[in-house]
This record gives sequence, structure tokens and C-alpha cells, in this order.
Amino acid sequence: MRKSIKISGLLMLVIFIASLLFTGCDSSGVSASKKDYDLYIFSSKGEITNQFEAMCKAYETEKGIKIKLYQIGSGTDHMEPLRIEMNSSNKPSIFSIQGLRELNEWETSCSVMDLNTATVPEFINLANNIPENLKLTLDGKANYGIPYNIEGYGYIVDKQMVTELFPSANVDKLINDIKLSSYDEFEKFVIAVDNYIKNNTSTKVILNSNSYELSKTKTNLTKNLTGVFSVAGAERWTYSDHMMNVTLGAIFKNPAEARNATDEKLDSMKGALTKYMKALDFKTSHAAGNEGALSRGADFINTTTCDYNKAIQRFAQNKALFIKQGNWANTNIEKINPEMTKRLVLLPVKMPMASSDIKCEGMNVEKFNSSIPVYVPNYFAINNLVSPEEQKLAQEFLVWLNTSETGKHYITNKFDFIPYNADKNLVLKDSINDSILSYVNENKTLPAAYHGITETWSKEVVGLELMEKYMTKPNWTTSDYENLADFAIKKWKELRYPDCINH
Amino acid sequence: MNIYYKKWFFPLIGLAFILFLTVILIPFVVGVFYSFTAWKGTFFFKNNALTYNPFSAIVGFDNYIAAINNEKFCNAFLYTIKFTVIAVIVINIVALVFALILTKINQGAGIFRTVFFMPNLLGGLALGFIWKFIFEIIFSKVFFGPDGLIAIDALTNMTQGNFKPLLALVILVVWQMAGYMMLIYITGLNNIPTDLYEAAKIDGASNFQQFKHITLPMLAPAFTIVFFLTLASCFKLLDQNIALTNGAFDTRLLALQILRTPSDTSPPNYGQAQAQAVIFFVLIAIVTLTQVILTKRKEVEM
Repeated sequence: MRKSIKISGLLMLVIFIASLLFTGCDSSGVSASKKDYDLYIFSSKGEITNQFEAMCKAYETEKGIKIKLYQIGSGTDHMEPLRIEMNSSNKPSIFSIQGLRELNEWETSCSVMDLNTATVPEFINLANNIPENLKLTLDGKANYGIPYNIEGYGYIVDKQMVTELFPSANVDKLINDIKLSSYDEFEKFVIAVDNYIKNNTSTKVILNSNSYELSKTKTNLTKNLTGVFSVAGAERWTYSDHMMNVTLGAIFKNPAEARNATDEKLDSMKGALTKYMKALDFKTSHAAGNEGALSRGADFINTTTCDYNKAIQRFAQNKALFIKQGNWANTNIEKINPEMTKRLVLLPVKMPMASSDIKCEGMNVEKFNSSIPVYVPNYFAINNLVSPEEQKLAQEFLVWLNTSETGKHYITNKFDFIPYNADKNLVLKDSINDSILSYVNENKTLPAAYHGITETWSKEVVGLELMEKYMTKPNWTTSDYENLADFAIKKWKELRYPDCINH
Repeated sequence: MNIYYKKWFFPLIGLAFILFLTVILIPFVVGVFYSFTAWKGTFFFKNNALTYNPFSAIVGFDNYIAAINNEKFCNAFLYTIKFTVIAVIVINIVALVFALILTKINQGAGIFRTVFFMPNLLGGLALGFIWKFIFEIIFSKVFFGPDGLIAIDALTNMTQGNFKPLLALVILVVWQMAGYMMLIYITGLNNIPTDLYEAAKIDGASNFQQFKHITLPMLAPAFTIVFFLTLASCFKLLDQNIALTNGAFDTRLLALQILRTPSDTSPPNYGQAQAQAVIFFVLIAIVTLTQVILTKRKEVEM
């Protein structure tokens, strides 16, 4: 009896050690263990995990290919799991890259395939037909990913609210006029609405040279308003990534240009950045609170009062006229006010630019102030380090997803995506998505230029500076504007991607 | 019994040793090795050349030099020292005072002991979020805000500013750890023979003299363990730091700094993060060992 226990104990030890030796020591990638799949997909689009899985099942049944799927839920870090998978012997055949910022790492390690070297003819066709401004590329030649979809953001506005604020106006015409108005007109419009909210005064406003009159009384809807903008002061990404990115659209044509910018080009950002501060000052001075206006101060950056969810809540409860967010906010708004999501429209984030501040070729003040940023949040990339058979399967899968009827059905109807290759007549069920598509069709889009600089710059350095020193400060001066602009430029030069320093 | 242990010594410790070897010792050695390489998470990148072989990417002490020259690392180091000194002192005073009170009272001592110990059962992140709410809403609005019970400006918005976040974190860890340390002190106090106090009373010693000449020296073993536990856990504090301020207002402690180092650069600099972790380990080892040796010397053998 005793002997058998001893032997079984020793046996267990041997198995334990053996299993460790076999699983733990293959980081060199020499001994590829047997795989039980044909195609391995790593997806970091957290909002659609269930639908994505269903899509993969549909592909499996249609084509008889076994897919291994690894997905990351919303709000969790995807880079660490992806790095672990990339270190294993069974590497993902397809993985996701969230823009130029993440491309840097995989490009340096040569683990992402240049789609120009693809072998499947349909896939080459698909890759070549990605619109120039949506390509994932550093130099304009290489092409590293197929977009999942496109996203855009701007000031979201509820049409019904506008209708009740301006009862005598044609609402579609009015919204179109806000879209086209200059910054000065927009500023006067905001002040007039703010006066209406706080002092009940009715004035005339001029938008795009047309005159509109505010309502004399308050309706059940408009009496909820406490301010013009719903601001999430605790969320640095809303102002240091997204709003800053609008400004960078006046300087750079695409993120690659921002990434390779020279010192002179960076110095020329000062004018635009100063105007950014002016617009941010104006916006945060007209913020909506829970009961009455919200002003900058300690409360403004507390997560319990001013995080993303609280800002969305204030907008969905009709306390603010505008919120600067994108199509992703739709699901959150729907939870609070489902009726509202059918009436939402996106308007451009305007800034008081002078034509001398605009340094981007082909851009002008009018176009800048009537465009919204539209970009690809996530790309499918093919792993350069997997076998050619797997790469071929990966290409076939991406062709199927983007061209077959089933694949397209999943993208537009199940994922609620705006397809990057959307047809001009496509109508989406989501009103914000439709609004984004209209900007794309009018060719009024700004790039995701902020991807040209590390996340540390926008979120950790400039974002923290803004949050700690400015969002808590009630009054900003012109020298504050300039100090922040200088600070941002100085830090950009320090935090550039390593291979860009030699320029 | 002894024969049993002699015979089964190796099988019995075998599994524990293997676990220690594979989960702690080997990763530790590998980690130290990686701190000498240009490790970027999935590849090595030395002198602008890509390689997958760690032995051709050894950079010597470069990562250590870079870590020491890293301004954020130095700031985090100073901040950690500041925090640890204040927190250890405050935790010990509070725990000792609680212990003294609870050994004196006759009724309800058990209930108080349980209540004071309870915060220790909560995880660090949960605690951090609870206190964030307390600081931002209860403190800033209900209690000490302009419309609150008593308006004390210094106690509002404790998670912002230069010194307040440090104080906020100290309050949090005191709330969390004081109960646990109190239990150790209570055990220590109960182990002091009562005849010592009786003898002192007959000699006419005052309460303070009794405390100074009997209680404190006799508590030395408890001090050793409490100092060790508080010092080590304050030095390594991470979850509470993330949940409360997440590094805003220069409040990165060393552990958070190491965690964030890879994401500070692109491609991620795991080599330097690893070097920071090794420095961190050496620091904790030096500080805690010195402390244990020093306090051990003060212990009185009965």
C-alpha cells in the first residue's frame, strides 16, 4: 500500500516536471506543437464579441474551416494577451491592430505582413482598393491592414431639442447651417442658447448668414437644459486625444505625416494649438451639470461626477445640447433614453482657426470647421510569422468577410458597423452612423493624426497637464493658452517614436 | 513520528519545492536575466537590429543606468519613501492605541476586534474605489464641502493637489491595515506577564512609566513583525494606488511605475521595466532586512 502511494507520488512529480519542460521552454518557436485549428483569429474589438463569434461559426459551416478565436472584452487591455499569443508557438494568423500607434511594435518586429506581398488575387484587389486615407501605412507604400470599420465623432445633438429651441425654423436646414457656420457664429449661437437656459432670454442668432429666433418659452424638454456642452472632465482622452486630434487635422494630412514631422513643422503647430485652447476654454465654460451649470474646478475632474458615464447620462437626460462623442456612445445613450438614439446627428467640432494657423495642404478654415474626424479604429493584420498556408486561409477569410453577402450582412446588420467600403446609397439603422456616412460622402473628414505620436504624449503628458493645471482652474488667460501650446510641442519632440528622432 | 518525517522528507517537501522552483525561483532568475537584455515583449531589439535570441541582445547594465536616469522612476522612488515612512508610523500608532484600548475594556472587545479587522478582508482595488467615492462625495460634499456639515477646505478633494493625495492614501492604508496589526499587538500585550505590572505598581511606577519600561520592551517581538509587514506592504502598494489616483498629480508609487513603464514607450521597453523591478526587489530586501535585524536586537528574552 505504502509503496504504491510512493510510486504514484513520484510518477506525479515526473509528469508535473515533464509537462513544465514541454510547455514552458518553447519560446524560441522551434518546436511547433500540433495545432487543432486551420485559422487562428485574435480580435480586440470588445463590443461585438458575441456577434463576431457567430460570424466565425457561419464561416466554419460555409467553408469547412476550423477557426480558433481569441477575443478580448470591452475595456480590458488587449496588448498583453496578444504579446503572449505572439510569443507562443501557435501564433495568431490574423490579429487586430488599433491604428498606427500599435503598428509601430509589430512593424519593428516584422511580424505584420505587408499586404502588397499577398498571394490571393481577390485579396490583392481588396487590399489595393482601401481608400488612401484609411490605409494603415507609415510611408504610403506598404499596406498593413484591412479595416474593421470606420468611426467618427463630433458634437452629438438631439434634433428634437433643436426643434423645440427654435420652433419657427426648419430643423434640417438649421442643423445644416450649424454644420456650415463659422466659429464666430457658432460661439454667438452657444452664448445665445446659454442665455436662454440661464436667464430665459430669447434672441436672434445668425448661422451661415441665415437668421433664426430662439423660442420665447421653455418646453418640457428644453427646461431640462442646464448648459450647452456635456463635458467629461475626468476622461483625459476626450480632450487630449479626441479634441486635440481635431486640431491636428489642421496640420497633418494623415497620421503617417504627423509621425514623420520635422521640428519646423511641429513648431508651426503653435497657432493651431493656441486656438484649440481657446475653443476648449469656451467649451468648458459652458458645461452642463446635474442641477445648473458646471464650472471648472476640483469637481470637474472627479470621476464620481465627471466621468464618461456621467457625461453621457447628462446628455441622455436632456441636460445638455451637445456632447462631443462618437458612434460608440450610441449603446450607452440607448440604455438611458432609447427614443433619443433615433434623432441624433453629428456636428463638427469647430475651432477659431485663422487661415495662417492651417498648415495642411488642401485644408482651409471653412472645410476644417465643417468636417469631422473619421478614421479606422481597428485593422485586421496578417501575421508574417505563420505558415504560407495559414496566411492564404487568412486572406480568403478577409475576402469573404468584406465581399460575400453573409460577411457584409454581419458587418452592417449584426456588428452595427459602418463599412469602410460603404456604398454611397447605403442606409444604416443607426442615426449617428448615417450622419458619419454623410460626411464621408461629402468628403469632409479629418484624419486620426494623433496616432502619429505615442499615447504617452496625449494621455499621460499633455492630458495630465490639462487635467491637473487647467481643468481645475476657473479662469484661463491668453498666456495659459500659449504655455500649453509650447508645452505640447516641446513634449512631442521628446516623445517621438524612436526611429523618427533623426529627422 | 520522527521516523515518519525522516522517511518521507523528500516526497513531502518535493511538491512544495517544485512549485516554489517553477513559479517563483525560475521566473525570478529569468527576470533578472531579461533585465540585462533589450527585451521588447515579443522580440529583442539591440542597436536597431531585430533578434529573437536573448543571448545576442545582452546590453549589460544599460537598462539599469536608464532606469536610474529615468526621471519618473526617481520621482516614484522618492514618493514611495515619503509615503512608506508616514504610513508605517501612522499605522503603528493607530494599531497600538486600538490594541491598548481593546485589552483594557471588558465588554464588546470581540465585536470591535472583528470590525477593525474587517477592512483587511477587502481587496485593494475595491478599497481604492470605495475611498475614492468617500473622498469625492462624502468628504467633499456631505461632510466638509461648502454646503456640508462643517466646511473644512483642507479635507475636500483629497485626491487632488500636491500633498493631499499622499494623505488620502495614508488614510486608506491605515483603515485597511491597522486592524490586522492591532491583532498582532493584542496578542503581544496578552503575552506580557501581569506580575511585571504588579511589581511595578508596588514600586510606585506611574502608568506612563509602566508603558515605557514594561509594555514597549516586552512588545518588541510584535514590533518586529508589525514593522516588517507594514514596511513591506506599503513599499509594494499597487492596487490602492491605481484605484485612488492612478498616478495623476505625480502619485505614482514604485510598483505602479514599473507596471506603466512598458506602455510609456513604443515598442514597449520590458527590459527597463524588468531592471526597475530588480532594483525594487533589492531595495525592499535591504530595507526590510535592516529593519528586522535592528528590531530583533531590541527584543527581550524572558
